[in-house]
Parts: sequence; C-alpha cells; structure tokens
Amino acid sequence: MSGALILLAIALLLIGLLGLLLRRSDFASSPDASPLLCDATAPSAYQAFEQRRGELLDRIFGPDDWEFVLNHAPKRVQRLFLQERKEIAFYWLSQIRSLAKIAIRIHIAHSRKSDELRPVLELRLAIDYFMIRVKCAIVAAILWLGGPVAVRRMIKQVGGLSEELRGMLELASKGDALSGETRVPR
Amino acid sequence: MMEPSERPILSLVEDALRDLRNRTLAKLDGDLARLVYLASTRDYNTGRYAHDGLSFRFSESVTETVLAAAHREAFASLALSPLRVLVSQLEHYIRSGWAHPDELVEAWNSSEAYRILPPAADDPLTVRLFVSNVKIALAIVKAAWQEPQALQDPRSASQLPSPGR
Repeated sequence: MSGALILLAIALLLIGLLGLLLRRSDFASSPDASPLLCDATAPSAYQAFEQRRGELLDRIFGPDDWEFVLNHAPKRVQRLFLQERKEIAFYWLSQIRSLAKIAIRIHIAHSRKSDELRPVLELRLAIDYFMIRVKCAIVAAILWLGGPVAVRRMIKQVGGLSEELRGMLELASKGDALSGETRVPR
Repeated sequence: MMEPSERPILSLVEDALRDLRNRTLAKLDGDLARLVYLASTRDYNTGRYAHDGLSFRFSESVTETVLAAAHREAFASLALSPLRVLVSQLEHYIRSGWAHPDELVEAWNSSEAYRILPPAADDPLTVRLFVSNVKIALAIVKAAWQEPQALQDPRSASQLPSPGR
C-alpha cells in the first residue's frame, strides 16, 4: 500500500516537472513572453495584499460575518452572503495561482539567461509550484462542493497557501539574484 | 536620514492632513460618510484629487497627496471591518443625511454607485471584499425595513425605522 503511494507521489512529481518543462519550451517559442516579465501591477498588488493578508483572510473565511448574517438576516440574504463569499474565495484562489505562475515565469526567463543552472533550486521551485497548484485545486473543489463554510474549517491550511506562495516568491527571487551574480560578463 | 530639503514638504503634508481631519472630516458623521466624501474629491476622468480650500492653503500636489492618503486610510479601515460594523455605518449614513432613505438604498442597489468608493490602486481582493460587503449590508438594511420583526434581537446592529413609518 505504502509502495503504491510512493509510486503515485513520484508519478505526480514527474507529471508536474513535465508540465513545467513544456511550459518552459512554450515560453522559449512565445513571442509575447517578455510583457509578462514587466507586469508592474502584480508586485504592488501583492505587496498591498501581503500587508493585510491575515486580516483579509480572517474577514473572508472567519466565522464572525457569517454568524452575524445567520442571526440578523433572512434566508435570501444568507444565500447572497454565501454566494458572494464563494466568489471572493474563488477570486483569491485565482490570484494565488496567477501570482505563482508569474513568479515561475519570471524565474524561468531568468534561468534561461543564466549560465549556471542550480538543479536543487529548480527542483524545489518546481515542487513548490506544483504543491501550490494542487492545494489550490483541493481548496477550489471543497469550495465548489461545500461552499465557504466548508473552507472555513480548514482556515489554517488556507492561510498556509499564502505563506507557501510567499516562500515560493522568495525562493524564486533568491534564485534569480544568484543567477544574476553568476552571470559571466562578456 | 531625511534630506533637509524634504522637511518642509513633509511638514506641509502633515499640516494639510491635520487640517483635512480637523476642519473637514471631523464634521462628517461616520466612517462611511468620510469615505464617500473623500472618494468624491477625486475626478473620475483623471483620477486626481482636488480640494479648493486645501489647495488655497497648501499646494495642489500636497492637497492631492493628502487626499489620496486619507482616502486609502478611510477605505482600508472600512473594508477590513466586520460586516456588523459596515451595516451599522450604512444605517447611520442613511439615517443621518437623507430624507428618503429608501430612495438611496434603491439607487445604490440599482446603479451600484458604491463601486466608485475604493481608491484606484488598492489591492483588488480588498476592493472586491468591500464591494461585496456593501452589497450584503444594503440587502440587510433593506430586509430590516421590510421584515423588522426579523431583527428584534437586542444585539442587532439595525435600529433603522422603516421608511414607511
């Protein structure tokens, strides 16, 4: 049983790496790859989000607002609340996914220019990216099936998703800084 | 270390901010009223802030900086506050300044005028949460008028009389 699980994990990892390599080759041939690298809105939005992250996630997924609506609003407003929170949660997930995607694209572009690839760093980034995508998919499935109330029960894991994204961004920027340093002047 | 040439500008901004808070914002009743006011000082075509009184005493650039900062601050405070607080603020705003509160609620519901309240460059998730919360708060206030018995709980934030009464 545990052997099968290990094999499954390896298979998933290989699929993730394959996807990453395919993306990489897509980028090499894509003429519009460079505008993605100068997406000026993403870092500033991420910075603003970072400052309020905990408070914002508590507000979206915490029990306070739902309890208030449950006690003080009729059924149709309760339905409206759940629908609205569900949409916000999906939007937040799409933000996490696109920020992770931007980070990995920027890193790929930097790595391509670098003379010295760091396989361990590349692998760690690929795994982090893959894990973020998987967790986003799991949270989206729970959200879709059980609504925002179901996601509330796993608020720590949800908050952890943002932490992981931050870790990945830091790792990507660290790698990019290193590749900048190791570039051989011509 | 601060550049000496920056000191006068910084102190001007501080003075202008104090002036805005003491002379204008302090007279407005409630955080939502302040946010509506600050959003209205922005030109929706250019995104630039303007205030004749402040511009007269300070410069236009100082005025713009101060209004933008006050707008961001007022928005963040309301956007991250619990829904209960927003409902209470909305009720207070409607009750304190409008002869026909039902008209205001209908207008806000149909035109979604509250969408112009957030500052232009704020975090999109915070903006979305705020817009969504205002929409829900409007629905709660409207329901409180239509079904006042549903809000007999003493902990209820709603104290609005029905517009028909």
